[in-house]
Amino acid sequence: MNAIQITGLYKQFSGKRMKKIDALKGLDLEIAPGEVFGFLGPNGAGKSTTIKLMMGLLRPTAGAAKIMGMDAGQTESRRSVGYLPENPAFYDYLGAEEYIAFVGSQFRMGKSLLARRSEEVLKRLELWDARKRPMRGYSKGMVQRVGLAQALVHDPDVYILDEPMSGLDPIGRALVKDIILDLKRRGKCVFFSTHITDDVEKVCDRVGVIVKGTLVALDRVENILRSGVEGYLIHLKMPETESFSFGGIELFRRTDSVSEYYVPCSAFNGFMGEVNRTGTDVLLVETKRRDLEDFFLALVKSAQGA
Amino acid sequence: MRGTLSSALVCILLYGILIIPFTTYLRNKPFLEKLGYVPSVTALKSVAADHKEMVAASLVMKVLMYFGGLSEKSQESQVVIPPDYKAMSRLLHGAVKLDPYNMDAYYFAQAFLTWDVKQYKIANDLLIYGMKYRTWDWYLPFFAGFNSAFFLKEYEAAARYYQRAGELSGSDLSRLLAGRYMQESGQTELAINYLSVMMNGEKNPALKKNYQLRLTAFREARRIELARERYREVKGAMPATVEQLVSGGFLSPPPMDPYGGEFYLEADGKVSTTSKYAFAGVKNHKK
Amino acid sequence: MASIILITLKGIFRDRVFQGIMVTALAFLLIPVIASLSMRQVTELSLTLSLSMISFILLLLSVFLGGTSLWKDIERRYTSSVLGLPLSRQRYLLGRFGGTALFVMIAAVVLGAAAFAVVLYSSAIYPPERPVIWSTMGLCILFDALKYILLIAVAFFFSTVSTSFFLPVFGTISIFLAGGVTQQVYEYLRSPASKSLSPVVKQIAAGLYYLLPNFGAFDFKVNAIYGLPLHVEGLLLTLAYFVVYVGILLSISAAIFIRREMR
Repeated sequence: MNAIQITGLYKQFSGKRMKKIDALKGLDLEIAPGEVFGFLGPNGAGKSTTIKLMMGLLRPTAGAAKIMGMDAGQTESRRSVGYLPENPAFYDYLGAEEYIAFVGSQFRMGKSLLARRSEEVLKRLELWDARKRPMRGYSKGMVQRVGLAQALVHDPDVYILDEPMSGLDPIGRALVKDIILDLKRRGKCVFFSTHITDDVEKVCDRVGVIVKGTLVALDRVENILRSGVEGYLIHLKMPETESFSFGGIELFRRTDSVSEYYVPCSAFNGFMGEVNRTGTDVLLVETKRRDLEDFFLALVKSAQGA
Repeated sequence: MRGTLSSALVCILLYGILIIPFTTYLRNKPFLEKLGYVPSVTALKSVAADHKEMVAASLVMKVLMYFGGLSEKSQESQVVIPPDYKAMSRLLHGAVKLDPYNMDAYYFAQAFLTWDVKQYKIANDLLIYGMKYRTWDWYLPFFAGFNSAFFLKEYEAAARYYQRAGELSGSDLSRLLAGRYMQESGQTELAINYLSVMMNGEKNPALKKNYQLRLTAFREARRIELARERYREVKGAMPATVEQLVSGGFLSPPPMDPYGGEFYLEADGKVSTTSKYAFAGVKNHKK
Repeated sequence: MASIILITLKGIFRDRVFQGIMVTALAFLLIPVIASLSMRQVTELSLTLSLSMISFILLLLSVFLGGTSLWKDIERRYTSSVLGLPLSRQRYLLGRFGGTALFVMIAAVVLGAAAFAVVLYSSAIYPPERPVIWSTMGLCILFDALKYILLIAVAFFFSTVSTSFFLPVFGTISIFLAGGVTQQVYEYLRSPASKSLSPVVKQIAAGLYYLLPNFGAFDFKVNAIYGLPLHVEGLLLTLAYFVVYVGILLSISAAIFIRREMR
């Protein structure tokens, strides 16, 4: 059974003057248990719509989303989910601890377990000192961390996080990445949306890219990274001042006694043969590739142009 | 900071200048305006929602305050301002439509509708309406009985009301049914009895004063009546004037009408006063 | 559901609503003074004023708490976090309603106690002609509270329909005023005085009589003020009416709310 199963999910909103807007055009997606999935897309692409459909906050026009085999329209489907909404807001007259206790009670957690888990997550997210203060006095980053804490407290198998890194400072972002990696190690399924590729590259197993309501790419992260290799920058130790060319490749840059050559993938073997023949020392081989960001931008550009 | 402070100061200053003419204006507003035009009772009933009793009480209060203020004023300055009885009656009728149990309204209406406005029929209709609701209250039939006997001279109806008042109060009101009250000659005594009951039960100073005044007037009248009887016994004939009684030593000290009128004897010997037991200004409001 | 009721109650208390009520309730201290102006019914007037004041405070509470409870949650996006929990929308709605209703009950009890004190004081200084029947007074306040709980259900119904707070607040006030006069209108329609009305108008008015909540039925102020007897049968019928009407309103509200999209 897939942790998340989305089939033909279609959502139409009625906008102003009876205009129909297709926010999501037939999405199919399967996320396995234990998988960390990054859902990439520019603003307004349909990421949040997808997540709200998965949480039963919206009703699909057609198709279905299932979590642990249960339809998202059922209340019980959310029992195995830790959900962080986009720009979350919580009853601001409560303290973080009270809210966590409320969330725990909704998941029918036992009193002692709840107390233990609550302390754990509040300490982990550095909210322990502020736990009694009403949340209306919290900073944006603190509220975001409360959001994560309440998603983590009942230790579910599936996590659905809408923009988990937004509103956080670099330290906070690193903490979140850490938490996601930790969940991955413990075999949990994490589905998170973002528009920042760097987040995905570091933690995800798989990535899906959505543009204008359509899934335009779906692949493992390493496949994308591998397919993106364009060439290598090779550093050679050459004390002589005169410039050489190897296999027709001209000098790219020279600093002190080091010469750098930019070699495309196809010319790599020939270039290295020449280098070996002349007995030149190789100091460093750098992989030159398009990163996920470029991949993402190229996809978005072509999809939007279409 | 300085800007807001100085503007606040200017405004406070202006308020100080304005407040005196403003309050003077409000104080001297025409009384009718002061009492207010009450919208139709049906409309009021709808808007009052579940506060009908409260709205009724506030209408009664309004009348009471207005009347209290007036009587205070007339005592201070000796200038008699005729109260707007019509508006008062209208408000009180509105009040009992909203809350048919409001005793203050009946009580107050009885107080001025009879002596001052001489609308005995209206007063009794109001009381009969109230009796349908305040089924336990002996005051309402007591009032109605008095009105019937004293003002309307409907002795049969009066007897019926007094009977009922007696039953309800459990006290001995039956003596009011005694034959002598149920005729012209017993009127003064009936009034004194009625007024004493009213005055003793009264807490409102304006009304109490009202009753006191009237009671004094009637006691004076009663004194003249007694003097008249003695005169007849002694002289064997009716006196023609009050002065005869005073000069003959039957009446001492000479009677004083607190309303500023003169007591006189009518042709049949009945004691009357030129004030008709009310302040002069009231004359204009007779029906 | 108990926890959502608790959260709702906490929210109302922490928004200092209760302190607000207490400050307003200071006006109870003035009641004996004002009531002493009455000529013939000081105790009755203190009762009138106390009961009216309770009614008024409860009205404000039910209109504003009831009308803004859901709206605020949706407006501030609390719903997206709370409804993301394994909490059904019906239970959420009932919990919010229950918390608000419970608060109105608590306020009624506290204000009722203040009213008892005021009336006790007034009746000790100016003994009334007819003794105050305390049980009637208590029942009057209880039914007053029930009436405003019914009004909260009306406010919740409007909240599930509308996205702004205008309809819940002003709609509720209108229904309150209309529901207070339906009985009078109905009685007028059955009287010969209504002969001149067209049958269509009569039909519509009669329809509205059965459709709108009958708030007049919950008003036992006259009974409490003048010590008139209450009829047990009438009270039980009114209680049953309350339960059924609130049930209908909440069921419809829940049905609408389940279909609502939380964008």
